[in-house]
Amino acid sequence: MNDDHVIETRGLSKRYGDDLLAVDRLELRVSRGEVYGFLGPNGAGKTTTLRMLLGLVRPTSGDATVLGAPPGAPEGLARIGSMIEGPGFYPYLSGRDNLRIAARYAGAPEARIDAALDEVELGGRAGDRFGAYSQGMKQRLGVAAALLKEPELLILDEPTNGLDPAGMASMRGLIRRLGQGDRTVLLSSHLMTEIEQVCDRVGVIRGGSLVEEGTVDDLRGRARLQVRAEPLDAARRLLDAFPGVERVAVSDGSLRVATDAAAAATINRTLVEAGIAVSELHMERASLEDVFLELTREDA
Amino acid sequence: MSSTIGAELLALRKRTGTWVLFGIYAALSTLFSYLLPYLEGDGAGVPPEVLPDRIAGQVIAGFPFFGGVFALILAVLAIGSDYGWDTLKTLLTQGPGRLRVLAAKLAALAIVLVPFTLVVFATGAVASFAIAQAEGATVVWPSAWLLVRAVAAGWLILAVWAAFGVLLGVATRGTSLAIGIGILYTLVIEGLTSALADSVSFLEPVVQVFVRANAYSLVEPLGLSFEGAAGNGPGAYEGPLVDPAQALFVLIAVAAAFLGVAATLLRRRDVS
Repeated sequence: MNDDHVIETRGLSKRYGDDLLAVDRLELRVSRGEVYGFLGPNGAGKTTTLRMLLGLVRPTSGDATVLGAPPGAPEGLARIGSMIEGPGFYPYLSGRDNLRIAARYAGAPEARIDAALDEVELGGRAGDRFGAYSQGMKQRLGVAAALLKEPELLILDEPTNGLDPAGMASMRGLIRRLGQGDRTVLLSSHLMTEIEQVCDRVGVIRGGSLVEEGTVDDLRGRARLQVRAEPLDAARRLLDAFPGVERVAVSDGSLRVATDAAAAATINRTLVEAGIAVSELHMERASLEDVFLELTREDA
Repeated sequence: MSSTIGAELLALRKRTGTWVLFGIYAALSTLFSYLLPYLEGDGAGVPPEVLPDRIAGQVIAGFPFFGGVFALILAVLAIGSDYGWDTLKTLLTQGPGRLRVLAAKLAALAIVLVPFTLVVFATGAVASFAIAQAEGATVVWPSAWLLVRAVAAGWLILAVWAAFGVLLGVATRGTSLAIGIGILYTLVIEGLTSALADSVSFLEPVVQVFVRANAYSLVEPLGLSFEGAAGNGPGAYEGPLVDPAQALFVLIAVAAAFLGVAATLLRRRDVS
């Protein structure tokens, strides 16, 4: 295993029965200190993968190392904080008592409980029963439990599920804070904005396999210049021969020009000087959502 | 390990269901072992089995049958709920290992069954003392050694049923089905088979490995009274008794088997 890889999977697969291949020969590498977004549609195999990384689910084949240990090994789990598929707590106990139980199992000192509650801004309601918490408070308590061990690796599965917009923004801010420094965060989500705003690197999973991996910028690709001009054919011929233009394509009655943003003004002037009427000219870039939808299309 | 047991004790102690089961069992034990036999007396004086000197046999009579059901439900709630509430996932991801989590839960259950047993004997003592006072009977307590043996036997019987509850909770990964199967087993399988063993001879060897038969056999030398809960009503036991030493061995072996299967299931199966 590469020392820089906090998580490394090799051909990791999980099959349920004869019909369902939930994870298919997954090759995943998460580097130390990064916030890695694990992006995929519902049912793509994200949660099953995370459960395998934590030793809750056994792989059918392949293997993985997490913080240098096999999944589920106590020495590895001692350095991992996680919240998988929502928080799991005793509804009749207070938030603080639930954390007390988790801390005793984790071997974390009691003093960490209040610190973790403060980190998720739940200190004021820590004495209330978990069952009486709002969804947002439940999610935050789940994150607090994950922080009890001051983990090197934080694995969060859909942490903003069920939150209102303010709660989602607050959770994203919290995750960004938690991902600072040496701590590694593996964040699973199907929400583009969440991944886009929080993650350094993204892996897209579809049908149990990793179909794309890179930074958000990598995935979105290079910006393109969109030009609406008349006559279109003349503009295309001119731009095809223009220095610095890699490719010109026609789409929806306008030109998509692969070139640097810095060339936009020169292109505009050249077109106008050639007697071509330019009615629209702007840089455009595929959104992460466009890329995601393209990558996760059924027929992709 | 002590911190994880402490965590489980906290979860059990703060759960209303634990106290409800305590309360109902203590109330039912008093009702069936003291109040009903006392009220149904034939007018020829106070029934001897409800006086303090017979407390060991009178109270223990309810343990093999309905006391066991309460212990089974307590155990199912203690471990089956962890699947329903997804708390098992939370505990396992803290890092202690699956068998350590199970061991902590078993230890906490074993500890909780001590006051559970003591409370039932204590309410029995209060009831028998009150009856003796009301009837002007002499209050004579049994020897401390007999009481200690009765409490220990009661605890063991509850522990065996609790082990069965743990197995059912783990096997069904929940509470409802586990409690249903548990009650079905105790009432229908063991209850009916034991009742039929008198008339269907080939059932007798089967009954001799049942928890109920061995539990009654274990406590029979303690002065078990078949006048109360053990001898009347739907829980009445008229089946075969075995040697108490054999009964002790069978009960421990059965509990170990229940827990062994539960541990194997918990260790091998996915938590999803």
